[in-house]
Amino acid sequence: MTVYHKFFSEDTRLYKIYKEKFTDVSVTLLLLLLATLLSFIYWRISQNAANIALLYVIALVLIARKTEGYFWGIFASLVGVICINYLFTYPYYSLNFTLTGYPITFLGMLAVALTTSAVTNNMRNQMQMLADREKLLVEAEKEKMRANLLRAISHDLRTPLTSIIGASASYITNEEVLNEEQKKELVSHIYEDSNWLLNMVENLLSVTRIQDGVANVNKSYESVEEVISEAIIRLKKRLPDTQLSVRVPDELIMIPMDAILIEQVLINLLENAALHSRSELPIECYVDETADFVTFHVRDYGIGISPERLSTIFSGTAYTGNSSADSSRGMGIGLTICKTIITAHKGKLRVKSHDAGTEFYFILPKA
Amino acid sequence: MSAKSTIIIIEDEKNICNFMATTLTAQGYKIITAANAKSGLSLIASCCPDLILLDMGLPDMDGIDVIKDIRSWASIPIIVISARTQEKEKVLALDTGADDYITKPFGPSELFARIRTALRHSNRLNTDSRLTLRPYEADGLIIDFDKHLITLSGSEVHLTQVEFKIISLLAQNSGRVMTYDSIISNVWGPYADDNNRILRVNMANIRRKLEKNPAEPHYIFTEIGIGYRMLEDKAG
Repeated sequence: MTVYHKFFSEDTRLYKIYKEKFTDVSVTLLLLLLATLLSFIYWRISQNAANIALLYVIALVLIARKTEGYFWGIFASLVGVICINYLFTYPYYSLNFTLTGYPITFLGMLAVALTTSAVTNNMRNQMQMLADREKLLVEAEKEKMRANLLRAISHDLRTPLTSIIGASASYITNEEVLNEEQKKELVSHIYEDSNWLLNMVENLLSVTRIQDGVANVNKSYESVEEVISEAIIRLKKRLPDTQLSVRVPDELIMIPMDAILIEQVLINLLENAALHSRSELPIECYVDETADFVTFHVRDYGIGISPERLSTIFSGTAYTGNSSADSSRGMGIGLTICKTIITAHKGKLRVKSHDAGTEFYFILPKA
Repeated sequence: MSAKSTIIIIEDEKNICNFMATTLTAQGYKIITAANAKSGLSLIASCCPDLILLDMGLPDMDGIDVIKDIRSWASIPIIVISARTQEKEKVLALDTGADDYITKPFGPSELFARIRTALRHSNRLNTDSRLTLRPYEADGLIIDFDKHLITLSGSEVHLTQVEFKIISLLAQNSGRVMTYDSIISNVWGPYADDNNRILRVNMANIRRKLEKNPAEPHYIFTEIGIGYRMLEDKAG
């Protein structure tokens, strides 16, 4: 994968260099031609050659500004001097390098070309440096997110595993002592926790579908209502008692997405609402659209989330500062994964606090 | 099920194999197990099972090749066992000739439902009965294929020609998943554009006519990235 990627980027870089060389030539020739043309018109109208050098200087500055390195600037100043000498100074249409002041014109134009090229190069270098630094920052941010994710995962995995190991070990060692009811309770604990683990693993698997971290998912046009209904069916399988109220628009909306990932986001948001809102009121799930975007809403009417937790809720560190960390297991990683998925779709995941309850919504582009 | 149906399980993971064998034996099926594709294929040839449960990730052979091999000489229903995230593999398996799939991890009730459906459909084909022309009936929805008539809790539902074709196809294969491609080639013909947008639009219209809430369907379910599955015929 990485080797392929390297080759690929090497290829595009070469292509880019060729393209730059090509544009440099065409920019230089085009501007020189334009300057000559304008000079001709000006000269025909006013019969005054004094300002023609200025036109060439302007072209020169532009060329030095637009092209890479010093070569094209120097080349343009040479051509400019020859053009002025050949076309616009007496004797016309012949070269005469013995005119008084001629070397001054040439040196002046050369100086202009060199200075502009130098300034441009300097500027370009600085811009490159800024871009590099930006890239490093993004990289560092990604690394941080990965570390947070790992921390959240290992914490989240340990809790149900402890319970599964404990329950099954106690069943094996104490089988004779336990009565039927206790046995049943132990097994149902194991069942519950392994289901929870499964959900977790599915979340993790979905992240592996996102290649290279950012903006690289397998998108195809999918119907919004089908993704929602599938998410709800899967949620109901796991939490059959959940109260839901679902609405979709009357016309069919189809947008590009990785449906399995978006389904995962919906399941996570709905499940959080069902498990953590502590409310009997139905969770609302609905969709609305504008000309360019579709918004999915998941709103509960529960206890709400405190403002200080809201600010870090997507970062995967949401619950590390919480005193009762285990009571809110799953909140951290689920939302971090949602955020990753939505970002990879070039969408936005947001949270809003209402007077009663919380609303999570995400916006996906239609194209 | 009057006589015991024989099911062969081809699965290399011992724990999963044991779990399936135990639960299915308890349900009255006769179970044969194979740990790899080669022994599985020879067991199929010698025992003539009524159904094959095939894991896609076998150590010695690609699951798709196993399906091709079986389909070259037998029409025994095959249910493929596969992981959730591999939609492409599932679609390929279904289009190669598998009858249905079940996603790991699954519970016993899901497994029984898939097996029942697959056996029912294969019984119909074997006895060559005209059962497929009997109206479909489930939870208040009746589809009469002869009369081109659909009623929902007693009142008639009006569908366009294409919509009726789609729902008939799904109803005749009720309980089974139908891939987008198979629906499209059945309804629009084999040379139809494989862009499934037109199918989605028709499906959205059907849902608005049949379902109380299109977002919580009761009759037609979506299998994302794969196709559609219709609620199983209750009368059959």
